[in-house]
Amino acid sequence: MGLSKRKAAYVEYPQAVPLKYAIDPEECIFLQKGKCGACKKICPTGAVDFDQKPVTSTVRVGAVVLAPGFVPFDPARYDNYQYAKLPNVMTAMEFERMLSASGPTQGHVKRLSKDGRDPKKIAWFQCVGSRDLNRCDNAYCSAVCCMYAVKEAVIAKEHVGPGLDCAVFFMDMRTHGKEFERFYDDARERHGVRFIRSRVHSVTPVGTTDDLEVRYIAEDGSLHTEVFDLVVLSIGMEVSPGVLDLARRLGLELTPGRFCRTASLTPVASSRAGIYVCGAFQGPKDIPQSVIDASAAAMAAGEVLAPARGTRTRTKEKVPEVNVANERPRIGVFVCRCGTNIAGVVDVPAVAEYAKSLPYVEFATDNLYSCSQDTQETISKIIREKNLNRVVVAACTPKTHEPLFQETLVNAGLNKYLFEMANIRNQDSWVHKNAPELATRKAKDLVRMAVEKAALLSPLREAELEIHQSALVVGGGLAGMAAARSLARQGYAVHLVEKEDRLGGQARNLYRTARGEPVPELLSSMIAEVEADPRIQVHRGASICRVEGFVGNFKTTLEGAGGSQVIEHGVAILATGGRPYRPSEYGYGTDPRILTSLELDRRILEGDPALGRLASAVFIQCVGSREPERPYCSRVCCTHSVDNAIHLKEMNPEMNVFVLYRDLRTYGERELLYKKARELGVIFVRFSRERKPEVRLEGGRLLVRVFDPILGRELELEADLLTLATAILPQENEALAQFFKVPLNADGFFVERHAKLGPSEFATDGVFLCGLAHYPKPIDEAIAQGQAAASRAVTLLARKTLYTSGTVAEVDPRMCSRCGVCVSICPYSAPSWIEKGPFAERAQINPVLCKGCGLCVASCRSGAIHLKGFDNDQIFAQIFSLREAV
Amino acid sequence: MSDWEPKIVAFLCNWCSYGAADLAGVGRMEYPPHIRVIRIPCTGRMSPNFFLAALREGADGVWVSG
Repeated sequence: MGLSKRKAAYVEYPQAVPLKYAIDPEECIFLQKGKCGACKKICPTGAVDFDQKPVTSTVRVGAVVLAPGFVPFDPARYDNYQYAKLPNVMTAMEFERMLSASGPTQGHVKRLSKDGRDPKKIAWFQCVGSRDLNRCDNAYCSAVCCMYAVKEAVIAKEHVGPGLDCAVFFMDMRTHGKEFERFYDDARERHGVRFIRSRVHSVTPVGTTDDLEVRYIAEDGSLHTEVFDLVVLSIGMEVSPGVLDLARRLGLELTPGRFCRTASLTPVASSRAGIYVCGAFQGPKDIPQSVIDASAAAMAAGEVLAPARGTRTRTKEKVPEVNVANERPRIGVFVCRCGTNIAGVVDVPAVAEYAKSLPYVEFATDNLYSCSQDTQETISKIIREKNLNRVVVAACTPKTHEPLFQETLVNAGLNKYLFEMANIRNQDSWVHKNAPELATRKAKDLVRMAVEKAALLSPLREAELEIHQSALVVGGGLAGMAAARSLARQGYAVHLVEKEDRLGGQARNLYRTARGEPVPELLSSMIAEVEADPRIQVHRGASICRVEGFVGNFKTTLEGAGGSQVIEHGVAILATGGRPYRPSEYGYGTDPRILTSLELDRRILEGDPALGRLASAVFIQCVGSREPERPYCSRVCCTHSVDNAIHLKEMNPEMNVFVLYRDLRTYGERELLYKKARELGVIFVRFSRERKPEVRLEGGRLLVRVFDPILGRELELEADLLTLATAILPQENEALAQFFKVPLNADGFFVERHAKLGPSEFATDGVFLCGLAHYPKPIDEAIAQGQAAASRAVTLLARKTLYTSGTVAEVDPRMCSRCGVCVSICPYSAPSWIEKGPFAERAQINPVLCKGCGLCVASCRSGAIHLKGFDNDQIFAQIFSLREAV
Repeated sequence: MSDWEPKIVAFLCNWCSYGAADLAGVGRMEYPPHIRVIRIPCTGRMSPNFFLAALREGADGVWVSG
């Protein structure tokens, strides 16, 4: 981004995989002028090749997934913000880099002007390059900028100190994601971030100070000015010209916002069969939604390729394992030079020589590159020749290279857990380059610690388990059916459990999607496919009354009209859906003209002719949502009301239609509906939580009073129809949560493994989630998540067998005092009570569920739990070996 | 000013801080070489006995991060 300089030979970014250098041809003196070539001369492995040219290769594939992402909007074309001219006007992307600990300023927030001083006041401008047809062609909302601006403001305060003044200039605050509304509330109320509903007019420099004067127009039309030290532009997302060109060559249909066109029922399928799409090319979206799409796209591709699965895989030959039990440790130590990465700082031969003096060490040497293919083979050979039974590699980091070296051990017939690494590159030579002697001492210490631990390592077993090749899907709504359909298309048997006597869930109440597709048709095609598929067994009117087992081997008891039934399944997907909030506010239930959104949809579905004859209709948003007792946004209601307002206007253009809202959250291309509604003459009036509309009946007239902040006065609207956009509530999931040992959040929605990276699975292995059970969402997102949950489930099912990790906790039941701490604290539900036998009622740990975190080990007051690979004696050996060093 | 540098024993969680320490290396950040890292699978593994043992063995400070 030009915030700091880099050399022509560079690593793309610190987390790049693979972590390899590249040459920037634009800047390389050799490639530009034919001189220099120093890197080629100096590279010890001869990896530099100036003759590489782009090559075109042809690959035959059955499906294509497009994930080309987005480009951030370039605000240089906005002259009123003067991004190109003023140093202290920066983009949110640049600010994000500045907040990053590994960024150009190491997380230090400072001004980009020459003074470089710490800012005291920072402003964020929202909707730069989004929701704007005047200065760019992006009518859509970029969906992520509100949340990232709130986040950046809070983090900036953390970095600079609570005295930092942060102000966000915005139109509508769109924090519609899971747990986002709470974050927004916290930012405002706890961190004191100021949110100013306004439109920014211009930014001008204050004299020669590089301070910035911001002129803005507040909601009531008044003009204000305020001086800031730094202005951050919350830039939106765009599809890059290169991707548009690709889309044109592939013949893909695009949306008005130039995103890839998809349909609600097939949210990751492009207009061309066999080409799938995920991420921001499908529409502006945040990380969780991109990850959901990615899994869904993998599933969609997997569905068409299902017959070919496994046809091109090869099986590796297994080397028989040598039994080293009861042998005296014979440790081999391999110290890596890593070219000059380690050897340039650490005296590697001295470390190897030192290693030879350590107890149990039979052999020690140094290698140029321990990870290279030939060195791997050499290590394997030495293990056999010297009859080594433990191996220590002192090199880079186990995070990236432990599996590789473990494989070397396996190839030499050693159990892979007889291995230990000493991190003398990332945590030594790279960080102490100006203290080579101390770095060498540290390397020796690290090797000694590793050797001491290695001497205590024992071979560990990985138990093999069959995975039952079938799935249970709980909930027969759109998300659950999408999951069942995908699993069946991949060839798996599915039990689909629906508590009601028919499939469809809440979608049965809906009229049309935001894309204008009629929901009843969409639903009936999905139901027809699910019911016709012989691999899907639908259990209607059934509920779950007992769940036993764990990943790969669940036994679930269903209770239904025909009695109870036990189902065996390898995985479970929870798609229990949501339900509408029944309002007590705004006079609901007192007059037939007051409806909920779903009731209005029902009237539209039934073709009620009275709707077209109404003189006025009023919608009230956030009924039951974004309230202290329910502090989340229900995500779909703004779009729903806007679309219904359009529908009413289209039925009768003379009708007066009002939408009373708090923040209008038509995120992504749903914004185009909002635009269309305004063009059709729908009137939008904002209200605040403190000053809500009032509804009363007077002489048979239904009257709504609301304060209009733009006019600065109260309006009284007569409504022939009052629609309340009610919140989406989760189902009562407590029992199911206990059955599958998965958590619920404060609002009653299930808690996924990871908010960003694991949105469709639980931390508990073998259990997945999708749809409204996760969080309120529209149909396309619910279906995508159904596919995503199925995709995650298939990654397990396709393995057919499951290997437990060797580094798991184990209870010595003789020592167990039955306190139950391990059972209650384990996040993965691995510990349980032994039911029968001499150790009945004492704890046991299921190695299949155990992730080896050691929480139970540290918490066990009886010392009954041992963590293999990180046991007390092993960690103490490392600590005690510090005696010499410390 | 004395040359004394505190000797620190660090217990780092494999999933976050240990990775962060690796990343510090990738970024070529420099810090004093008087720190010895022990990788643990999670800070949940940390036991008070480990602190005490490290201090007894001569550490001036113990750092647990995860």
